[in-house]
Amino acid sequence: MTEARGEVFDLGYRSYDGPREGRGRAYKALWVNGVRTTLGIGRGWGAKIMPGLLFFFVVILALGFVIGGEDHSSYYSAISIILLLFAAIVAPELLCPDRRDRVIGLYLVRPLTVTDYVAARWLAFLSVTLPLVLAGQVVLFVGGTLGAPEPLEYLRDNWRDVPRFLLAGLVIAVYTTTLPLAVSAFTPRRAYAAALVVGVFFISLAVVGILTSEQAVGGGDCEVVIMDGEEVSNTCAEYLVGDAARWYGLLSFGEVPSFVNGHIFTETPDQGAPKAVHELHAAIPIAWYALLTCALGLALWWRYRRIDL
Amino acid sequence: MTNNVSGHSGPLLEARGLSKHFGLVIALESVDFSVAPGITGLLGPNGAGKSTAIKLFLGLLRPTDGSAEVMGQRPYESIEARARLGYMPEHDCLPPSMTASEFLTHMAQVSGLPPVHARTRAADILRLVGLDEERYRPIGEYSTGMGQRVKLAQALVHDPVIALLDEPTAGLDPGGREEMLALIGRIGHDFGVSILLSTHLMGDVESVCDRIVVLDAGKVTEEGDLSRFTGETEMLYIDVDDRRDELAAALAARGVEAVVDGLSLVVDHASDEQYDLIRDAVVETGARLRRLAPRRRGLAEIFRSASL
Repeated sequence: MTEARGEVFDLGYRSYDGPREGRGRAYKALWVNGVRTTLGIGRGWGAKIMPGLLFFFVVILALGFVIGGEDHSSYYSAISIILLLFAAIVAPELLCPDRRDRVIGLYLVRPLTVTDYVAARWLAFLSVTLPLVLAGQVVLFVGGTLGAPEPLEYLRDNWRDVPRFLLAGLVIAVYTTTLPLAVSAFTPRRAYAAALVVGVFFISLAVVGILTSEQAVGGGDCEVVIMDGEEVSNTCAEYLVGDAARWYGLLSFGEVPSFVNGHIFTETPDQGAPKAVHELHAAIPIAWYALLTCALGLALWWRYRRIDL
Repeated sequence: MTNNVSGHSGPLLEARGLSKHFGLVIALESVDFSVAPGITGLLGPNGAGKSTAIKLFLGLLRPTDGSAEVMGQRPYESIEARARLGYMPEHDCLPPSMTASEFLTHMAQVSGLPPVHARTRAADILRLVGLDEERYRPIGEYSTGMGQRVKLAQALVHDPVIALLDEPTAGLDPGGREEMLALIGRIGHDFGVSILLSTHLMGDVESVCDRIVVLDAGKVTEEGDLSRFTGETEMLYIDVDDRRDELAAALAARGVEAVVDGLSLVVDHASDEQYDLIRDAVVETGARLRRLAPRRRGLAEIFRSASL
């Protein structure tokens, strides 16, 4: 019987002479890390709950729309609140820990620029939000087609909805990515960033709701004249659809993509700020969306340009 | 010697007229020095401008005036140069929820290594710094010493030409400090990765460095090979068990000036002739000689005497 013998080798240090893929690899590594962080891959179950719930929600809601015979244009308005909540909670994960733990300093001494870092994180979050928002629309379209008595006829009549929901999905995903990331750039604490995003959304929604409500405006100079139980004159309603209410509607920051959504689907939203804003010239909400998104993106980039390492 | 970035030959790091001001605060003022392959100590008290100099070489800061070049390139403009630098900051910089293995693999990829190579390098480097067994534990559970090793490992994972280590022994107990310095010595002398070691501890510099650059209040006050500083001040220590005063008198009679230092007699700059005279004086007095040996003064003594 031979005796087993072990041998210990001191391999020492081996220098690396393999490929170096530079900036492209660095960018890709940050992007992959960002996607994994957003989806909770490689982390505990707690981190997977939010993306899992959101995916479940968008699919269930889309099936509800299929059963209820709803169309594509109102779908994004229906998911915008839950999507923004998801973004408010998860997006700070991509930026805040890097600054709080000061890992950012290690990234920026590698073959990366500040712009690369910000762009990779932004793209990583967009890579999750865009498929999520489009998933529901795809379910809705496929469900509508399969559920139609004449599927081919349904396709022929509704194919224009496909480029519309792709474009509208991109609009909502870009905004939902940029807003929470820009806010996260100004605090190292995830909870503060999430609270600020949710706060901006709900406070602006409430303020705009008050400013554009008939009751609120009715407290001023307007009056409602009722004769024989019927409303014959309502200056409040006239005021509501006047310029002020339309412009106030633009301040509902959480609904900015919905303003554009109505114009993409060429349908008038049925309530709230999107309805008021829709009565403005189409160029105004579109320009407002573009301006806000670019301003938020620039704020995000500017904050990292000036980061103290 | 040719370095690895664009076939650059010359110093790895070079500061020329380098100044950095933060508003009214002058961190560095018209500093000139260079760093050659090997281990160079950047020595100075807290606030001397060491960390600022390191950040300028890393491209994290831009100079107010002058230039900080890495292998002939400006790091804040050259991604190629930054790809071959390693950096171990003084402050905490580790994500507590990641394992060391995950973190190092990720940092290797961010340094440009493909995933398969990144995983291999991460495993190799973690073994090198002595974290082979613990590499799958979250970093948040590590001790200070283990954390310092991970910080060192991430600075080396992409096999840099030079690693800039900012106070690598900070917060370590004496045992941990010795181990860290031994590791840095191996990396710098045996593995071919040059080191710029920033520290305020002279003992760290004396232990491992080949050269030193001394910064004080934003200016370079000393620069050169370590042996030049310690070699120039070689002193001969004479330890005897008895008759020390008689021996001192006998030496004085022969024109050899000996100073009493504790239990020893010390002769500064002993020449060959003086060795003979000392031998004769010991024989004449009959003192029992325990030790006759040269001793290099520590850096602390050199700087203490320079400041007097």
